[in-house]
Amino acid sequence: MSDPKFSPSAAEVPEYRAAQRWNIVWVVPILALLVGAWMIYQKFTANGPVANVRFATAEGIAAKQTEVRCRSVRVGVVRDVKLDEDLKSVVTNLELNPDYESLLREGTRFWVVRARLSGTEVSGLGTLIAGTYIELDPGPKDGKRVDHFDGLETPPATNRDIPGRRLVLTTDQAGSLAAGSPVYYRGFEVGRVENRKLNPEGTLVTYDAFIREEYSGLVKKNTRFWNTSGIDITAGASGFKVRTPSIQAMISGGVTFGVPEGIEAGEVVADGASFRLFGNEDEAEDSTFNPTMKLVLLFDQSVRGLSKAAPVEYRGIPIGRVADISFDYQNAQNDSRIPVLIEIDPAILRRESAMGISQTDLDCLTEAVKRGLRSALKTGSLLTGALYVDLDFYKDVQPAELFKTGDYESIPTVSSGFAQLEAKLTAILDKIGALPLDDTLKKFGTVADEVAHTAADSRRTLVEIEETAASARKLIDSPEFAALPSSIKSALASVEKSVSSVGPDGAIQGDLLRTLDELRAALRAVTAMTTAIDEKPNSLLFGRDTSGNPIPKAPKLGR
Amino acid sequence: MTQGHPRAAVSGLASCHTCGKVSPVSLGNCPRCGSHLHLRKSNSIQRTVALMVAAVALYIPANVLPIMSSLELGIYTENTIVSGLLTFWKKGDYPIALVIFTASILIPLLKIVALSWLCLAANGKLHPSPSRLAKIYWFTELLGRWSMVDIFVVGILVALVQLGNYMTITPGAGALAFGGVVVLTMFAAMSFDPRLLWDQLEALEPHHSPLKTKDS
Repeated sequence: MSDPKFSPSAAEVPEYRAAQRWNIVWVVPILALLVGAWMIYQKFTANGPVANVRFATAEGIAAKQTEVRCRSVRVGVVRDVKLDEDLKSVVTNLELNPDYESLLREGTRFWVVRARLSGTEVSGLGTLIAGTYIELDPGPKDGKRVDHFDGLETPPATNRDIPGRRLVLTTDQAGSLAAGSPVYYRGFEVGRVENRKLNPEGTLVTYDAFIREEYSGLVKKNTRFWNTSGIDITAGASGFKVRTPSIQAMISGGVTFGVPEGIEAGEVVADGASFRLFGNEDEAEDSTFNPTMKLVLLFDQSVRGLSKAAPVEYRGIPIGRVADISFDYQNAQNDSRIPVLIEIDPAILRRESAMGISQTDLDCLTEAVKRGLRSALKTGSLLTGALYVDLDFYKDVQPAELFKTGDYESIPTVSSGFAQLEAKLTAILDKIGALPLDDTLKKFGTVADEVAHTAADSRRTLVEIEETAASARKLIDSPEFAALPSSIKSALASVEKSVSSVGPDGAIQGDLLRTLDELRAALRAVTAMTTAIDEKPNSLLFGRDTSGNPIPKAPKLGR
Repeated sequence: MTQGHPRAAVSGLASCHTCGKVSPVSLGNCPRCGSHLHLRKSNSIQRTVALMVAAVALYIPANVLPIMSSLELGIYTENTIVSGLLTFWKKGDYPIALVIFTASILIPLLKIVALSWLCLAANGKLHPSPSRLAKIYWFTELLGRWSMVDIFVVGILVALVQLGNYMTITPGAGALAFGGVVVLTMFAAMSFDPRLLWDQLEALEPHHSPLKTKDS
C-alpha cells in the first residue's frame, strides 16, 4: 500500500498491517450480541403465564402498575385492563411471574384489595397509601390449568388453604347476616360466614360458613344453626321474649350453633355438610320436635290470636303445635266452624312406647275422646291475647267420638277458657240489656207524682180543718155557746188538740216528708247504677276495679 | 526522507507503549523497560470495530429495556431511556429532557458514528480533509467523558432512594446494557490508534505536508 520508494524499511511497514488478521477481540461483540439478545428475549418472550380475570369494575386497577399478590407476595402484574364486549364488566389481563404459573389453576380466586370499612372488619388500609392490588388465592393443588377467571367482588373471609370446616347453611331469610359475620358456639367466636348467595329461584339463601380447625369437631350431625342477628323480640302464647346477642352480632349479624338438649349429637360432619339455618334459638330447639300425628280441630269461635306454630298442650305439657289454619280442611261448604290443623308428637305423651305405630296411638285417642277428651282454645297470654290449643278431659260434656274431617281425624271441641267466659258474660249482659229499666223508672215517676198529689190534697184538707176549727172557736167564743156546759168545752178542747197534730208541725206531715226524702235517695241510686252499667257493662259481675290477672306460663317443649 | 519531517515509522522507530522511549522497532523489545515494541497499536482498527459492534449490539437492549424501575407508594413503574425522556418532555421539563437526550441518546450514537467514520478513514475507505479528521477525532475524545451521565444518575438514585414501600428505585436491565455500551465505546475509542489516520494521509500524499495538499 505504501509507496516502496519512500519506505526505507519496506518490510516493517506491512508488519503492522499484516498483524490485522482475525483477532480474539471479536469475542467481545459476539458476547455483547448474545447478552443483548438474551436480555431482550427475557423481556419480551420469557413473560410469565397470562390470565384473564373478569371484575365488575376496574376501580383502582391500573395497567402495568397494579400488582397481583398472593399472601402479600408479588406474583405478577396487571398487563392490561379492557372493557368486556358486553360493556358490563372489565377484563383484566394479568401476567404472572413464570415461577408462579402453577397458581393459575381451577378454583383459584381473585379479588381486588381495597380499603374496606364495615361493622365487622377494617381491612386493606395499606391500599389507601400504596394503591389497590389484586389478591390471588390459589385453588386446590391438583386443579387443572385455567386462564379465565371470574374475580370476586368481595374478598372471602378466609383463605381456602386455612384449615377448618367449611359448611353450607341454608335459610329463607337472610336478615342482617352477611359475609364476615361471626359464627359462635356458646358465645365464643369459632368461625365466620364467608359469603351468601340467593339461589336462582330466589327461594333460599345459602351461606358458606367456615369453622376454624380447632373447633371443627364441634359441628356434629345433629347440630342446629340459628341466627342471632339483631334483637329478637317474640310475643307468643308463652309471653314476651327479648334476646340480645353481643354488640358485634347485633350490628353485623351472627350465627350460633349447638346441639339441642335431649338429642344425640351424632358424628362429626365432613367438609361441605349442609345445615338449615333457623331464624332463632326457639326454632332451632323446636326442630327436634317430630310430629307424626296430624289432627283437624273444628272451632266454633274466633281463632283470632291463634297463630301457626302456637303450642298444643295437654294439661300444660306441650305435645305439638298448630300447623295450619285454613278452610281447606273443611268438609262442608256451609260449616261455619274454623278448621285448625295441629300436629302432635304422640311420643311425648307416651315416651316409653315411642316406637309404637300410629294406629295404636289413634286407638288411644279414640278411647280418650270417649272418656271426655276435648280440645279448646285457651288464652296463653292476656297481654298479647295469643291463644293456644289445650287438650283436656271434661266431665260434664256430651259424649262424643273421634270423627273424620277430610283426611284427618278430629277431636271434638268445646268452647272454654276465655271464649266460654266471654260467651257467658255476653249472655248476662244481654239479659241486663233486656230488663225494662225505662218502664220501671217511668213508674217510679208516676208514683212520685201521686205522692205529691196526695200531699197537696192533705194540705187542702188541713186548711179546711183549720177553717172549721176557726169557725168552731168563733162558735165557742160566742155568748150563746158560753152557756154550753163545761163538759162540752173540754170535749171541744180535746178535739182542737187532735186537729192541731195534723197541722204543719204535726207528726203526720213529718212522716210524709221523710217518705219523700227516701224516694229521692232511691232515685239517685238508680241513676248511679245506670251510669255504671253504661260505662262498663261487665261491672255488674266484676265490680269496678279488676284485680291483677295471673298469667300462666307454658313449660318448655321437648323435655 | 528529505522532504518534510521524517516520520518515526518510516525511520523504523517506534515509541514504547509503556515507557514512551523511542527506539528502533527492529529491536523487538524496548531497551529500557523490555516491553514489546510496535510501530502502531496492534490490530487497532479491528479491535475498535469489534468493540463498536459490541456497543451497537448492547445499544438495542439499552434502549428497549427499562433502565430504572421505581416503586412509588406501591405503584410500580418501569422507565426506559426514551420513556423517561418523553415523560420529562411532556411535563414541560425541556432542559432536563434535552440533557437526557444528549447524554443518553445523542452522545453514544454520535460516538459510535464518529468512531466508525474514523475507522473507515484509517482503513483508507474514506478520504476526508485532514482538518475534518482532526476535528472529528477531537470531538470523539471530548464526548467520551459525558456519556456516563445516565448511569451516574441511576447509580445515585438507587443508592439514595430506598424507602421501602414508599419509594424504592432499582436499576433495570437497561442500565446494565447502557453501561456496557458506554464502557465498550470508551474501550473502542482507546484502542483506536489515531496515527493510522495520518499514515493514510502520508500514504496518499507523500511529497507534501499533510495540511496543505490535495491532488490526485
